[in-house]
Amino acid sequence: MFRSVTKQQDPMTAVQVTINDTLVSVVPGTTVWAAMALAGETATRVSPVNQQVRSAYCAMGVCFECMVEINGMPNRQACLTEVVDGMQINRQVITEATIAELQTELKVEPQPQDVTGNLSELTATGSSLAADVTENIKTGE
Amino acid sequence: MSVNTTSQKLSSDVLVIGGGIQGASTAYHLAQRGVSVTVLEKDTVSRHASGVNAGGVRLLGRNIAEVELSKAAMQRWQQLDDELDADTGFRRRSLINIAADENDLDSLRSREQQMHSLGYFHEVMLDKRELLERLPHVADHCVGGVVSEQDGYAIPFHSTQAFRIAAERLGACFCEGELVEQIRKVGDSWLVDTKTQQYQAEHLVNCAGAWGDLISVMIGDNVPMSYSAPMLMITARMPHFAGPVVGAVSRPLSFKQFENGTVLIGGGAKGFADRANNTTRLDYSLMANGARNAIEFFPIMKTACINRMWSGLEAYMPDNLPVLGKSMRAEKAYHAFAFSAHGFQLGPVIGEVMADLITQGETRFDLEPLRVNRYERKTL
Amino acid sequence: MTEFFTPGSSDSSAEESSSISYDIAIIGAGPAGMSAAITASRASVSVVVLDDKPRSGGQIYRNVDASPLPDAEVLGPDYIKGAELTTRFRRCNAHHIRGVTVWHVGDNGEILFSDNGTTKRLTARQIIVATGAMERPFPIPGWHLPGVMSAGSAQVMLKSDGLVRDEAIFAGTGPLLYLIVAQYLRLGGKVKALIDTTPKQNYLHSMTELSGAMRAPGMLIKGVGLLNEIRKSGTKIVSFAEDLKILGEEQAEGLSYTRGGKEYSLPASHIFLHQGVIPNLNMTQALGLEHDWCKQQLCWKPKLNRWGQSSKSHIAVAGDSGGIIGADSAAAMGRIVALNQLVNLGVISALEGESEAADDLTFVASQQRFRRFIDRLYRPLDQQRIPESPGTVVCRCEERTVADLKKGFELGGREPNQLKSQTRCGMGPCQGRMCGHTVSELLANWRNQPVADVGYYRLRSPMRLVTLAELSQFTDVTPKAKKTEEVN
Repeated sequence: MFRSVTKQQDPMTAVQVTINDTLVSVVPGTTVWAAMALAGETATRVSPVNQQVRSAYCAMGVCFECMVEINGMPNRQACLTEVVDGMQINRQVITEATIAELQTELKVEPQPQDVTGNLSELTATGSSLAADVTENIKTGE
Repeated sequence: MSVNTTSQKLSSDVLVIGGGIQGASTAYHLAQRGVSVTVLEKDTVSRHASGVNAGGVRLLGRNIAEVELSKAAMQRWQQLDDELDADTGFRRRSLINIAADENDLDSLRSREQQMHSLGYFHEVMLDKRELLERLPHVADHCVGGVVSEQDGYAIPFHSTQAFRIAAERLGACFCEGELVEQIRKVGDSWLVDTKTQQYQAEHLVNCAGAWGDLISVMIGDNVPMSYSAPMLMITARMPHFAGPVVGAVSRPLSFKQFENGTVLIGGGAKGFADRANNTTRLDYSLMANGARNAIEFFPIMKTACINRMWSGLEAYMPDNLPVLGKSMRAEKAYHAFAFSAHGFQLGPVIGEVMADLITQGETRFDLEPLRVNRYERKTL
Repeated sequence: MTEFFTPGSSDSSAEESSSISYDIAIIGAGPAGMSAAITASRASVSVVVLDDKPRSGGQIYRNVDASPLPDAEVLGPDYIKGAELTTRFRRCNAHHIRGVTVWHVGDNGEILFSDNGTTKRLTARQIIVATGAMERPFPIPGWHLPGVMSAGSAQVMLKSDGLVRDEAIFAGTGPLLYLIVAQYLRLGGKVKALIDTTPKQNYLHSMTELSGAMRAPGMLIKGVGLLNEIRKSGTKIVSFAEDLKILGEEQAEGLSYTRGGKEYSLPASHIFLHQGVIPNLNMTQALGLEHDWCKQQLCWKPKLNRWGQSSKSHIAVAGDSGGIIGADSAAAMGRIVALNQLVNLGVISALEGESEAADDLTFVASQQRFRRFIDRLYRPLDQQRIPESPGTVVCRCEERTVADLKKGFELGGREPNQLKSQTRCGMGPCQGRMCGHTVSELLANWRNQPVADVGYYRLRSPMRLVTLAELSQFTDVTPKAKKTEEVN
């Protein structure tokens, strides 16, 4: 197990993140990888070809072994990302056999036929990224 | 640069200039007929467009002038791996062009009318329900599309190498690192000089891609060819969401998801070509357009991560059709270049056409619209 | 005409700006980047520093201003002294944009970077690449298994998050390996064993460079001191180990090695590997700079003149990204490179540049003699760089083994880019960082030709994964320039 040798931290400042469905409390400024290591959740991803479990190797952004899914976005490097309160961190399982789940909430009929209408729907899924994109398309940028 | 000196053949029946898919296919078809052939490649085989293109094997939406060639090529792709005893990576996946609105559907309907009147029935229109069945992840605003069932993709580098290896097996010789500096016709022979060697042959084939105009001029034919750097990007692996290859009727959108899960996004945006230095530069703001279109048509793409971006040097004619056929100024010289970003699929049949022209003096295809001097009168 | 550049933060609003471009952009805020910024930041020069970490310092001085450890002194004086540099850097006039990922640098001066999910763009007249080093890959059987990490990672985890991993094996060679073991021991960490692969003959061969090493006796003593410190702690040390293999099928379960022809194995669920560092090549390669294979350091490095100027006159490389020189030399090179760019910009004369850089140029030259000794002594074993076992993973992203590459080679992949097209080796998210050197050396072996003739991957931006959503937008960043006075 990894263990922490840091100085005493004020528990009031701790942030809560979810790692593979387990809620853990970590010091602000911690990297996602360190949070995972301390929680004993060291498996970062399943390799796409041979479907082997992998874990961080370099911890400094070079090897891309620590790619995890953070708040629904895949391929985030855990070692370069700092924890944020409420963050959802999941082991990344995108292998060559993975089939995408249909985002049924995007498929509700009937749908308006104009672009902005649909993209508002997309925003409603809660992704801030989607919101950015919507904004962009609306403004025609 | 690896110069293939061991098997260099200085004199042959046919000299092919350019080691892309057209040159390699031409060599393969000639060697199959017992013709001795040497291919001169200035860099390495499949170094440029033939190795780095999007790999689309597309019959859908072809210009009428190319439909017959493209149909014949498509027949060949379906069993090309067996024929060449290699893995070109060809997968028949169908290709769907998506209609985003009624205007798109209108253009599809008039195209359908034209194709049917010419006796072509390989493009089939899809309504919204049929589109969703084939592409469940498509955005809801899309109203329909058109599909060509035989279409798909292949791995360009592997395909070009497959022709090369098959050709070599039959005795063809590929000389890499041989930049053509001069071409002369002396008596019945073509003499071609590179920096270190002189090659001699009875027939000469120009398959020089983005450098095709330079070789063409050395042969004696002028063409208003331009070159550019179409850009591509590929994602890290994603969960499988699109079986068919995807395009759009009126938007610059084109992508395919490979078996390994990566998604190759094209769409025709062009970067900056630096032909003299063998290199290209990307225009990132144009890449952004492609990104926006992809997300708009497939919301799942908002989680896509771009892993690599690149572009290759490609030759274009003003009408976006290749130069294909005999030289107009010289005997026993032939052109197959300037495929204007859709030559890859034609590869298997182009070699056949060249071999027919050389060994029989004619081909079953109508090459009139593709002749090298088709712009001559217009420039007068 | 003189513009006064005011220090700014990245949250610039739409203030008046008379320039749309920076004079100098520096990528990386390690010792080289920070020193370059301090030297370049003069009244009339606009300087921007882009760094991917929230705090400056690079890997070597990582978190030196905000160590999570109760007593950062245990990390040693070479770490602590970095605080002086980070403080001066904070006070200098350079615009420091932190926590951003540069994903494209063009030789036309265009820089694209990710800032919190948005791509921003700036342009600069001169560019200094100071992206530092990375650890040399360690392609041995099983190195891809969970539980195997680089020794550098142990140090990063300690510096940035105060993490230790007890009962781990540390294996390989090089001063950084001994340093991290010593740091662990000082913090009360339990180290299972130090397996040293430095071969006996390296000690003999390095003696020819000893006279150079004696010019920097302090550094020589440091290395010996660390080993003595480890030995005194009673930690198991195995010297002259060879044939390292990670044991285990799905997870590291131990390490096997041979010594004097006899095979040994040690159980452990965690193994840290290290065999020196190499330049971080992706930016300099993607910029199209000319590179050479360095036989002394067994790595590719950009061709540079003594001023750190690359094959493109407006692009300089400072610090370990230009060839491994260590933190002190990196800081000196940062100053040298900055002075040269001030000369290029016409801010100071060539004579002024020469005289201001004189001491640093002398220092760097003297350190290079010591470097020759270190490089010889800790030269990694061929068998640990050029894997022979068919099942050893070379490309971790695309999971390609020695056998896969051999097959690709036989099908015509004779050069790294052809091999990449043939096998997908190097096509994954790490962009060849973890396999590039191995592939160059493997191909050189198979072709029986020098590595220099084999070459390296042709790389392109993006240097890191960029989301499609992010790519769809661009924001320009321009220097905050305020005219305060006119000077004739």
